[in-house]
Amino acid sequence: MRILVVEDEPRLLHNLTKALREEGYAVDAAADGEDGLFKAESFNYDAIILDIMLPKLDGWEMLERLRQKKRTPVLMLTARDGHNDRVKGLDTGADDYLVKPFDLSELLARLRALIRRSLNQTSSKIEVRDVVLDTRARSATRDGNPVVLTAREFAILEYLAVHRGEVISRTELYEHLFDENDATFSNLLDVHIFSIRKKLGSDLVATRRGQGYCIE
Amino acid sequence: MIFRSIKWRLLLWMAFFLSLILAGLGIALCHIHLVDQLNQFDDRLLGRVATLSSSLYTPPPAEMDNHQPGGNPGLTVVNDSSATGDLSGAPTNRISPPADKPAPGTLQLPPDIVRLFGTQNTNSYYYVLWPRGESDPFKQSANTPDGVTHPHTAEKDTGTHIRVRRMFREAYHVTEHGDCVLVGRTATEEYDEATRFARLVFLGAAGVLGLILAGAWGLLVRALRPLEKISAAALKIASGDLSQRINIPDTDSELGRLAAVLNSTFARLETSFSQQRQFTSDASHELRTPISVLISEAQTTLARERSPDDYREALGASLDAAQKMRRLTESLLELARLDAGQEMLRRENANLATIVQDSVKFVRALAAEARVQIHCDLVDVEIYCDAGRIAQVVTNLLTNAINYNYEDGEIRISTRREGSTAVLIVADKGQGIALGDLPRVFERFFSADESRSAGNSGLGLSICKAIVEAHGGSIAVTSIIQRGSTFTVRLPV
Repeated sequence: MRILVVEDEPRLLHNLTKALREEGYAVDAAADGEDGLFKAESFNYDAIILDIMLPKLDGWEMLERLRQKKRTPVLMLTARDGHNDRVKGLDTGADDYLVKPFDLSELLARLRALIRRSLNQTSSKIEVRDVVLDTRARSATRDGNPVVLTAREFAILEYLAVHRGEVISRTELYEHLFDENDATFSNLLDVHIFSIRKKLGSDLVATRRGQGYCIE
Repeated sequence: MIFRSIKWRLLLWMAFFLSLILAGLGIALCHIHLVDQLNQFDDRLLGRVATLSSSLYTPPPAEMDNHQPGGNPGLTVVNDSSATGDLSGAPTNRISPPADKPAPGTLQLPPDIVRLFGTQNTNSYYYVLWPRGESDPFKQSANTPDGVTHPHTAEKDTGTHIRVRRMFREAYHVTEHGDCVLVGRTATEEYDEATRFARLVFLGAAGVLGLILAGAWGLLVRALRPLEKISAAALKIASGDLSQRINIPDTDSELGRLAAVLNSTFARLETSFSQQRQFTSDASHELRTPISVLISEAQTTLARERSPDDYREALGASLDAAQKMRRLTESLLELARLDAGQEMLRRENANLATIVQDSVKFVRALAAEARVQIHCDLVDVEIYCDAGRIAQVVTNLLTNAINYNYEDGEIRISTRREGSTAVLIVADKGQGIALGDLPRVFERFFSADESRSAGNSGLGLSICKAIVEAHGGSIAVTSIIQRGSTFTVRLPV
């Protein structure tokens, strides 16, 4: 899952990025509205965390312009908790709202819920045959036995599982699993897929030659 | 209580006084009318009594076969019994009194005169005739009511008089011979007429009163409508809707002027409330940002085991955030104290030039780091001020001038005296302020660069302004974008 964080306070941006990466997300950062809008328009993020008070282009404006083109789920973040602001945020097209100072665990929970909603999922657990993925604890079990996966392996599996039945191209997988700061080597993906098959069975993830991967 | 309202009170008072006036006028009118009626009545009585008395002694018409004692003025009375009711034939029946009876004169009543009087009709004129010295009537008409007595006037009191007896008015004439002739009639008709007239007057007055009161009510409602608008607006404002205004088109009336005054008061209230709200909102926003940093820093760091370097970095960032909060709360407290009043100024005589020199020394390191030159052009001016506070203003202006300057830029700071005013000018050739932002630079939490990441709370110039104004001075700014800004502080000596 790839997230965009738009926040002008550098230290907060740094912390959010760090915390989200540690949760297994690929994270892009933008420090102002213009940069944020550019990034949000040029890539299909799984969710955007958006501050309201931003230089150059404020959160409202950015959201409004983005909504003319995309339905990316947006979580608004602001230091203002006025009732009007909340209503305005939700009316403008924000999907959720969080007031600063926020609790990191709440932010992460809301983000998970937001992504789940956008993919029409009702539970934080995804079952694929005998494998169960817990997106909250970021752990996997096979026949009830825990299987140890690396963060990257889990992320690949999660992305394929939530888009179950779709063929996901290598490019798409790359784009959603690695952020702008990751050094991407194409063969790394093969290594992760190989490892997943070894841990959870060779037929879980199918390879469509020339097209990509798929969980059926 | 509806009758406690101004409208009702005015109306009731008006009704009260109007009724008094109308009652007075009505009574006067009725009185005049009655007197007039009675006068006319009396005139008719007098006319008849005059006719009667003038024909008392005239000799009988020649063609009449009456007995006339020669030379002796015997009493001769024309019997009017024929006249009672029978006006057609008018045959006269003469009664001749005994010739030996001493007669004061030849009393006689010509039938054509007698015919003028009523018959049995009690509402018509009646007459009574008394010879001199007699109290029993010698002659009277058939319709004469009971109890008509001789007026018993003194002998000498000849002439015509009017007397009123219950409903009857009577005119009597005492002739020079002492005979008395009386003509009377009941005035019931006149009194009835007067009653009718009084009733009309009463109805008319009531109608006029009603019309006037209705008109007055309409006027009152119109005149007091603004008051109701005012109280409605005031009610809404009291319940928190400060955007309410009173809409009264007629601004020249008393209430219109009141409404205008109230409107401007409401406007000031609204502005000050919204400024207050804005200030609180800004202050909480400014405080929340460092708190967010602090919390997210701690939570992220504590989420798992970290290296000592990570901990050090997190603690450093936390310290920065805490420092930022401290600076902000100090600024807020300072503003609050300055807002509260002047008692905290510790004023003494100080030289503005010295204060500026000290401040320049204070920011020299910062200026050197930013490679900005500070040129001083200082004239000694003694001012009575809180030197520490003024130094704070100078330092703040200099810091801004340095931070918003270009590399290798320059700042000119000067002091001089203009009459009883000390003038301090800080001019830089830095980034300047956009024209649209210029009026707002002294506003609390206003910052031309929106992000405020540069550790700029947006309170510095507000504090400068508050300090200068607490000294009774003023601060102003002119600026051209990308050319630089000039701040001018004026302080009373």
